[in-house]
Amino acid sequence: MKKWGELALGVVTSIGGFLEVGSIATSAQGGAEFGYQLAWVLLLGTLSLAILMEMTGRLAAVSKRTYADLLRERFGYRFFVLPLVAVFVVSLLVLTSEVGGVSIALQMATGVDFRWWAIPTVLVGWFLLWRGNFSVVEQGTAMLGLVAISFAVGALVLHPTWPTLGRALLPSLPAHDRARYWYLAISMLGASISPYLYLFYSAGAIEDDWTIEHLGVNRITAGLGNVFGGGLAIAALVTAALVLAPRGIKVDRYEQIALVLATPLGRAGFVLFIMTLFITCFGSTLEIVLAIAYLLAQGFGWSWSENLKPGKDARFSTSYTVLILLAALPIVAGMDPLSLTNISMVVTAASLPVTVIPLFVLMNDGDILNTHVNGWASNLALVVIALFSLALLVAALPLQLLGGG
Amino acid sequence: MVQPAASHTTHARLALVALLVGSACGSPPPLDKQLGTLASWTATMQLAKERHGAGAITGTYATQLRDRADEAFQQASTTIGGSARTRADSGYAAAALDSLRGAIRQLEAEIGS
Repeated sequence: MKKWGELALGVVTSIGGFLEVGSIATSAQGGAEFGYQLAWVLLLGTLSLAILMEMTGRLAAVSKRTYADLLRERFGYRFFVLPLVAVFVVSLLVLTSEVGGVSIALQMATGVDFRWWAIPTVLVGWFLLWRGNFSVVEQGTAMLGLVAISFAVGALVLHPTWPTLGRALLPSLPAHDRARYWYLAISMLGASISPYLYLFYSAGAIEDDWTIEHLGVNRITAGLGNVFGGGLAIAALVTAALVLAPRGIKVDRYEQIALVLATPLGRAGFVLFIMTLFITCFGSTLEIVLAIAYLLAQGFGWSWSENLKPGKDARFSTSYTVLILLAALPIVAGMDPLSLTNISMVVTAASLPVTVIPLFVLMNDGDILNTHVNGWASNLALVVIALFSLALLVAALPLQLLGGG
Repeated sequence: MVQPAASHTTHARLALVALLVGSACGSPPPLDKQLGTLASWTATMQLAKERHGAGAITGTYATQLRDRADEAFQQASTTIGGSARTRADSGYAAAALDSLRGAIRQLEAEIGS
């Protein structure tokens, strides 16, 4: 019975945690500019994330160590600096975008400029981290994040043409604006497969004391949770494709995106959009700041756990305190949250190889995983993800220049 | 005459810097892009007016949309002239600006600001 409870909670957490500022913004941009055509990118991103989460979860459950710990131990500190710095920089950018998302949601609700909301947002977030425990962060925000299902309701009310949507799940070339198409594709992939998601998942497995007995829970959580979560991102794309694209509206500012739910669902849709943006971005703010603090603590060998009193892991607690305050500064300074989100997602996509490629080595190490090493199918999937992560690394900067405007 | 390798490297770096600088802060965006942006904001204003009329969005939110559209209008007003190369281009630019200005006024009338 307890297992079923854990399973349900895990799936709900993944669904509620999937949508955040990056996936909402990039899915809406993709749908507004290219209709359903970029749906395949979300499918690819979702499947890739599910595979990476299953592997990092399995690694943690079997070895009782996080992915970051194993990266440092297996490859040495010199190598570890590379993913440490890359993930730190990328995640800090994404964290700032999430704070921007919360601030924009509050601006839409109140009319008070988003810059005023950044500091209150991070102070409330910090208070929850300081006083709460891992369950509060992981499950509380994810449960509330189920409000994102409103995108699925909005998409259904708009009656999408299913055969066309089905065909869009297979890759196709655009008829216009190729650079913009591939730029949005990379942004959407960056939003779907952020390294913090699987680093946080791996650390969460240790926080929740996972063992080999949790491998089934891990597989279903990573699979079902992400498939449902990815489905919500596709729903966001569909609503934008059916509301914004026919009218020729491109998403230049966050404020335009609320119209995608206000059109099919009326005032309820408008309120649900603001709630979705607020809750999912706030939840992601907490998860990302913890993911970075975990990474630093695991990298430098500090004591760490969100379940400990802050005094027991002072360097870990100080890290998340400083990080969450840092993330507010660019928003207070007036940086446009949507531009920041787009840049963050492209940089995130470019950073994938440094965390994906070493995973291949770890997942085939019998000393760490015993009989739970990857089979041929898992290895093939990981090689494919590693190859396209390398392609993203090469293409990200040129496409940012050519298609980012 | 074959240039030394160091010279090739310097030229390549200069070209890369020129590309980055040019992309970041060079000439105004192309006319079609600016026309697209203006048309997009015009359509946004029309949808916002319709949704406000149906009670789906608040006046506070509609005002924010109006402000963003106004920013887009102001920005395009200063840059679009530099992108219009022919008289026909200038005509398209003026028409797009007029459409957006009209749509903003209609939304303002709807929300009563």
